[in-house]
Amino acid sequence: MFKKVLLRASLVISLVGLLACSLLSPETSVARSHPEGVTGSRPMCTDCHENEPMKGTLKLYGSFNHTPAFVKDHKFAANQDNGTCATCHSQSSCADCHQGKGVLSPAMKLANRPDRMSPHRGGYLALHRVEGKMDPTGCFKCHGRANNQLCTTCHK
Amino acid sequence: MKFRSSAVLLATLASAAAWGQDVNVYGTTLVQLWKQEGAGFDKATFAPATQFLGVDATGVGMEALSVHLFGWGRSDLADQSRFEGKGGGELMFGYLKYRAPKGNLEMQAGRFTVNQGVAIEQVDGASVRADLIGGFTLSAFGGRPVLYKTIDPASQTEYDLQRDVIFGGRLGKRFSKYGEIGVSFVQDGTTSAKYMDGSNTQDYTRRQVAADLRFTPTTGFDLTGRTVYDVNHHINEPAGTDSNKSKIAEHDYGIGLRFSPMFGLNGTYTQRNFRAYYAGTNLPSLFNRYEPGKFQSQGLSFVIGSAASLEAIIDVKKTDRETYGQATRFGGDLRWRPKGTTMQTGLGYHRVSADDVPVSGVFVTTYGISYNEIRAWLTYEKGKLTASADAIHHSFTDKANPNLYGKSSVYEVVGSVGYQAGTQFKISGDLSYGVTPLLEKETRVLFRAEFRFGMASKGGK
Ligand code: HEC
Ligand code: HEC
Ligand code: HEC
Ligand code: HEC
Ligand code: HEC
Repeated sequence: MFKKVLLRASLVISLVGLLACSLLSPETSVARSHPEGVTGSRPMCTDCHENEPMKGTLKLYGSFNHTPAFVKDHKFAANQDNGTCATCHSQSSCADCHQGKGVLSPAMKLANRPDRMSPHRGGYLALHRVEGKMDPTGCFKCHGRANNQLCTTCHK
Repeated sequence: MKFRSSAVLLATLASAAAWGQDVNVYGTTLVQLWKQEGAGFDKATFAPATQFLGVDATGVGMEALSVHLFGWGRSDLADQSRFEGKGGGELMFGYLKYRAPKGNLEMQAGRFTVNQGVAIEQVDGASVRADLIGGFTLSAFGGRPVLYKTIDPASQTEYDLQRDVIFGGRLGKRFSKYGEIGVSFVQDGTTSAKYMDGSNTQDYTRRQVAADLRFTPTTGFDLTGRTVYDVNHHINEPAGTDSNKSKIAEHDYGIGLRFSPMFGLNGTYTQRNFRAYYAGTNLPSLFNRYEPGKFQSQGLSFVIGSAASLEAIIDVKKTDRETYGQATRFGGDLRWRPKGTTMQTGLGYHRVSADDVPVSGVFVTTYGISYNEIRAWLTYEKGKLTASADAIHHSFTDKANPNLYGKSSVYEVVGSVGYQAGTQFKISGDLSYGVTPLLEKETRVLFRAEFRFGMASKGGK
């Protein structure tokens, strides 16, 4: 079973690779890293860019403005346009909150940045018993399949 | 840090530094300090030191190749550690990346985080993505899932066995200026419990298909979201459970309206069916697939102003978990950057009105978990100095909550000062005062030393 699936998986990847090469868009790739330094914790792309379709994603620059809703629901943009995020964010910056196997809660690591949206502020080991009761599904993304060794000290 | 991962890190660091044209080495060391004095615990001092270390080397051998490494290691300076043994460490990612000059073609190999469509996973393997002609975009990945320790190795022996391989992909179609639609797939593990001998009751495998969408023809309108289906063949559930049989793991949608740069309205809707949504969990006691019913939430927020000066957000969110009940969170946040200053400050108030929690078989038959939350924070910069303060307070209405040990408030105050020594070093120290899980007062100290060598970081970080 394992071998069969491995074979199938590598076949699919090579096929996708081949397909990608033959049907590859002739557009030049976007810059590897954003050419201009961007400061502030909530950058607005349209402060510098015209609100036109962006190369690569073909969506309007404005749709990547780091508004409160964009930041809170960044999962939507990340799911489709991870490559764009990577021009400014290294995987390690996402790992402040999305650690495969975390050691410090985002709130502790970013305690010197109260302007950031870090989850788990304020006595969370106590508070989570209430928040987790109301919505355990929101915790599943980050603790359901990984990153939950700490939880198992109390949740067997 | 584990010998193996530090050796890998060092070796690659050396070679990358030797060959790369642009090398960035960055790290953060965090030392925490606190004393444990609570009843029922031995007195102890904890001083865990955590080291994060990363390397990004671009132009390794050839311009289009880069190497990225990031890991952490931990030891306790007071020679005792909180939950694990004395130390630990992990290579979180370490991969080689090729970027073609055309079509955003990208290939990765090694350990990396996959983040496409339905999958957000840590994988040891390979991935490829590319933009195709006609606005199509394609990505695929495959490899072995990075495994974590299981809770009870004795009863979860098939965990490693079941999660033998992971692969998936996404096909998207972009409509210039309008948005994008996509379908994605992930399969994690091939040998699900259904196909194994014996009486395995836990399925760690997962097979999901998702459709995602973003429609944003102007910045004034933004509709986005996804629906995830569980397409695995599950084993029969234990007798007597009354779980929700829906194949839909999740509907998760958001809609944004912006009337002018100063006014925005945002709505969200989420539905999650436990049996399908929790598929593949390694912590089944907490994320119980056989919990009856589903979870739903609706949110609405209204934004006035802009983060560059003054911004106010009013938000309300209603959640409904059938086995427990409903809760409504309502309140507002204010964010202010006074003109001509290097200060930023924020204020927030929320009220959470929640249904009571039933307790069976004791004197109290229910207890309330409603609370008020107040938060105030401030950041300030002057030359090389930075300072911040953050205070958050939750006051519970009902003291009968057994999880609060007769207390009514959960709070934390953090003060931090930092010093930027040159462009490459930054040190900061946080002092926090708050409560332990047993609701006893506690003071903690955290020292943070950050460095970054190499080309200046552009963009975010
Ligand atoms: C401080 C001004 C500034 C801000 C803010 C800014 N950019 Fe840029 N960006 C630039 C400049 C300058 C360039 C290089 C010139 C160009 O390609 O337009 C650039 C280039 C880019 C490119 C590369 C385009 C190419 O042809 O390779 C992308 C992608 C991009 N920006 C995305 C964004 C996104 C997304 C945001 C918001 C999160 C953003 N930028 C915010 C100034 C900015
Ligand atoms: C042009 C550069 C740029 C691009 C492109 C970009 N970001 Fe950001 N982003 C930033 C900067 C700068 C910050 C502020 C970081 C900080 O405060 O330290 C930030 C912050 C964030 C934060 C944290 C906000 C908080 O309050 O903690 C998230 C989440 C985020 N970005 C997600 C994304 C996602 C997802 C994408 C891709 C869809 C993306 N960003 C694309 C520059 C960018
Ligand atoms: C400041 C903390 C923080 C940072 C930094 C951050 N995220 Fe998130 N992320 C969250 C939170 C909180 C959620 C859960 C949101 C929810 O449930 O709606 C989340 C959810 C997600 C999800 C959805 C997960 C799933 O299973 O569907 C994706 C994908 C994601 N983030 C990608 C990213 C990427 C990519 C970056 C780096 C550019 C990033 N995040 C940086 C806090 C963060
Ligand atoms: C965006 C990802 C993300 C989400 C969503 C998330 N967490 Fe966490 N959480 C983390 C990370 C990373 C850590 C640090 C892990 C560690 O210490 O092992 C953490 C730590 C914790 C801790 C320990 C906190 C401490 O102060 O030591 C608790 C308790 C916790 N999470 C509970 C929850 C609950 C309950 C939810 C859902 C309401 C949730 N988390 C949602 C990322 C997340
Ligand atoms: C110090 C012990 C402790 C740790 C560590 C801990 N929890 Fe909890 N957790 C509790 C207690 C106690 C409750 C309340 C149980 C109850 O009321 O039935 C709880 C409740 C929860 C709930 C609500 C359960 C439900 O179905 O109503 C969730 C979800 C949760 N915890 C998630 C987590 C996650 C995720 C982590 C790890 C990141 C974690 N917890 C770590 C002690 C802990």
